[in-house]
Amino acid sequence: MRVLLVDDEEELVVTLAERLSFRDVDAKWATAGEDAVVLTEQEPFDVVVLDVKMPHLNGIQLKKKLERIRPEMKFVFLTGHGSEEDFRIGSAEADHYLVKPIDIETLVATLKEVVGS
Amino acid sequence: MTATDFDSWKAVSEEGLRFFGEMSASVSHEIRNKLAVINEKAGLLQDIALAMKSGRSVDPDRLEVQAGKIVDQIRQANRIVGALNRLAHSVDATGIRIDLADLVGLVVELYGRKAAQAEITISAAVPAGSVALITSPFLLEGLIGACIEAAMPRIDDSRIMTIAAEPGADGATLRFQNLAGIEDADIELGGEGAGARALLEMLGGRLSADGRRGELVLEISNRVGPDSGSQP
Repeated sequence: MRVLLVDDEEELVVTLAERLSFRDVDAKWATAGEDAVVLTEQEPFDVVVLDVKMPHLNGIQLKKKLERIRPEMKFVFLTGHGSEEDFRIGSAEADHYLVKPIDIETLVATLKEVVGS
Repeated sequence: MTATDFDSWKAVSEEGLRFFGEMSASVSHEIRNKLAVINEKAGLLQDIALAMKSGRSVDPDRLEVQAGKIVDQIRQANRIVGALNRLAHSVDATGIRIDLADLVGLVVELYGRKAAQAEITISAAVPAGSVALITSPFLLEGLIGACIEAAMPRIDDSRIMTIAAEPGADGATLRFQNLAGIEDADIELGGEGAGARALLEMLGGRLSADGRRGELVLEISNRVGPDSGSQP
């Protein structure tokens, strides 16, 4: 499974990628939407896990850009807010929606479910 | 208290609550992000320990590096909580002598995340101890916050907003610098308009713009509120 993690908090995505590697998930990461676009143009991913709120290009805008490049990719949204508004946007726009701090086993199970579907 | 005074206090109270709520929401979001990182770092330590137990060779430096990063995240979260705590305690006092550098530094710290989201860096150019002022700190923090919000959409290409202070005859002047396209006529305070304007009046402030220098200029008097006169 190839996963792209996108969040402006570098320490979060770097660590998540490392933890996923312990679970045999091949994860790459980006801290800005523009970098995620470049990575997606270079190689396909099965799932993109992305933060809803990021500077410059937010999660919703980024998802639309990435979908144009790789329409087959699935999306999981992350947020630190957990507000009803975020839940509404996240659940409407993505295949799955997780609130930080996330449980790694829940993330892995979600990734498998999304790819399986 | 006259009806006008009542309306003014009501607007100030509402603006104060709005400001405090916004800062609390911003800080709690930032702390949640730090906790998320700490959660992952601690989990990674567990993963490494499990790998070692199962006989996998792991460089022990990885443990040291990750533990150090957890300490860094805790230090950053502690600094943010400290700023929110100082904001909360600033409600306690009115009409006290403050160090403007200290107060501006606090507001800049609290606005750090909101500014970063807008890709703006805010810096305070106020040497410690250089400008003293007698004021109500919480109200002034709210007013400076409203000025930052008014200035952010007008930031110039440098994306760096500098807040400079200078002492005045009866107070102090704060200059929000590196703005573009501002005119005297079009200054609208951030926050909830009427509330921010009431704050300005209550603190004996005056707001103007210097289009040539690209500055929003806030002049503040030594003043504690409408009922206590202009001089303590």
